[in-house]
Amino acid sequence: MKPEDLLREALDIYAPWQIVRMRNDLGKGQIDIWVAQQAPKTGWFFNARSNVEQGNEQIWRHINIGNARCIVHATPPSGTAGENLQWFGEVDQPFTHGLSRKIASMFMEGFSFPAVCSTLDISVSDLWKFKHRLDSGKSGLSGKSAEAGGATAQAESAIPEANDPVWEKLLDGTISIDIRILSLKLLLTKLREQFSVITDSEVRILKAHEMQRYFVRHEKLLGHELAQLARF
Amino acid sequence: MKADQGLMSVSSAAELIRQGKYLSIAGDEAALRQLPSGHWIGGTIPYFMAADGGTVSREQVFVTEVSGFAAPPELRFYDQGSLPQICRNAPENGYSILIIPAFSAIHASFARNAPNFEEMYMKPLIGWIAGVHLDDLSTVTPKVVLGSTGEFSADHAVVMDVALPPEKFAQIDIVNLFRPGTGDRITFADTGFNAADCQINGQPGNLADYLLANNSDTRLPLVADYSGAMINVSIKSIEREARRVEFYAPVFPGIEYRIAAPLTDYLEAFRAALPQVEADISFSCNCILNFLYSDLAGKRTGHVTGPMTFGEIGYQLLNQTLVYLTITE
Repeated sequence: MKPEDLLREALDIYAPWQIVRMRNDLGKGQIDIWVAQQAPKTGWFFNARSNVEQGNEQIWRHINIGNARCIVHATPPSGTAGENLQWFGEVDQPFTHGLSRKIASMFMEGFSFPAVCSTLDISVSDLWKFKHRLDSGKSGLSGKSAEAGGATAQAESAIPEANDPVWEKLLDGTISIDIRILSLKLLLTKLREQFSVITDSEVRILKAHEMQRYFVRHEKLLGHELAQLARF
Repeated sequence: MKADQGLMSVSSAAELIRQGKYLSIAGDEAALRQLPSGHWIGGTIPYFMAADGGTVSREQVFVTEVSGFAAPPELRFYDQGSLPQICRNAPENGYSILIIPAFSAIHASFARNAPNFEEMYMKPLIGWIAGVHLDDLSTVTPKVVLGSTGEFSADHAVVMDVALPPEKFAQIDIVNLFRPGTGDRITFADTGFNAADCQINGQPGNLADYLLANNSDTRLPLVADYSGAMINVSIKSIEREARRVEFYAPVFPGIEYRIAAPLTDYLEAFRAALPQVEADISFSCNCILNFLYSDLAGKRTGHVTGPMTFGEIGYQLLNQTLVYLTITE
């Protein structure tokens, strides 16, 4: 079997679809593939001629290739032809059907939001967009609630654990602290604005984790801020 | 600032490049095109705050040396598709210098979307928006330069990723002299570089009508309080017939803006607000609007020097603000 055939099989891409282009320089640890319908072969590794329509190209995150993120670029086919394609996704949604089903099954197994992000190397914002799709009933979950697991353990750190209620209080404005660090001021503003429109408890936990992760990363700079959090 | 950086001749900058130094360079396009290839990134702009004061020069360039790194910095272009990865690609401990050409699609895209880039605010990102001499606005496009190849681009961003040793860390801060005034609260429903309809004190209104009716000084930006950081959106123009206001940075929904309180003496206010930092300032830039509105030609802003640009980057796009980087142990 040729390497390109192995890759197609690994990504569930079958005729009449094929990979027409591939790049690994658009992001660190990322492989971008362009998928289009087959055209008459011209004989090189990936067919040079393909029916790639430029005008309506969609981009989705697909299941990883090894440790690399896989980004699929393709133009939606007409009608419902794309519905059963694992490497395809819905217009303006972040994930392919294949990755969406994998994420949904992880939720059903009890994976928390942070664990899904960490395991699949998915960005928080993309998973948030996807979760809203779940909330609208387009995908189903078992209903198991995600615990705020995956908390970063810092045995001797002054930073509250990820599931400490102080983070949600900081994000919903119940508590305010004096902040000296520009990046924290900007991040907190963004997260507070997002938090104000989020009603899903799991997504709120995710935002709290995001805030705590910032403090973990920048602990050395945040003595003034952490001293204030310790009072709550 | 270090002795071998600042506003200098093209030949002096060329010598630093030939010495193999890593540099960020600002200058008029004609001056930048005289520089040899090497470890540098650049952007076009002929306005500077030099050691001798505010300067306009098409012949000289402003050079900032990048040093103290743990590994040779990485230099590259980003296009609009790849720019959202900039923070994810940045070193785990270090900082990135980003230059973007004004009026380009990538400039608009960064302005709108940067707050939502993956890892944004987690890793220090500083930079500026390249521009042109105001006499050339209708004839010349701003550009950035990837010095390692000598390539100029009006459509790409250029970045230098700088990794630092574990005992050092980079910090970005701003000096914004503008504070929200005591006037009406203004909010917007959508992100955009322009706005017509808005909410004024919670009531539907039109921003152009409001500014005209109040005879507002359009040199004063809209100011929003970001958890204690004052962030400006500068006014570019009021389209009277269209009843629309154009900005130099986007406004965002969910953010409350007020017109800035007037500044009586920019230089005095700036000197009072100068960063009292113990570490050297490794990089800084300020806004051309401050240069113009506060008539900074020939005047000094203390020990802080750098290009006077068409926008500043302190994680996200800023206006009428000084941004600076320090490296601390």
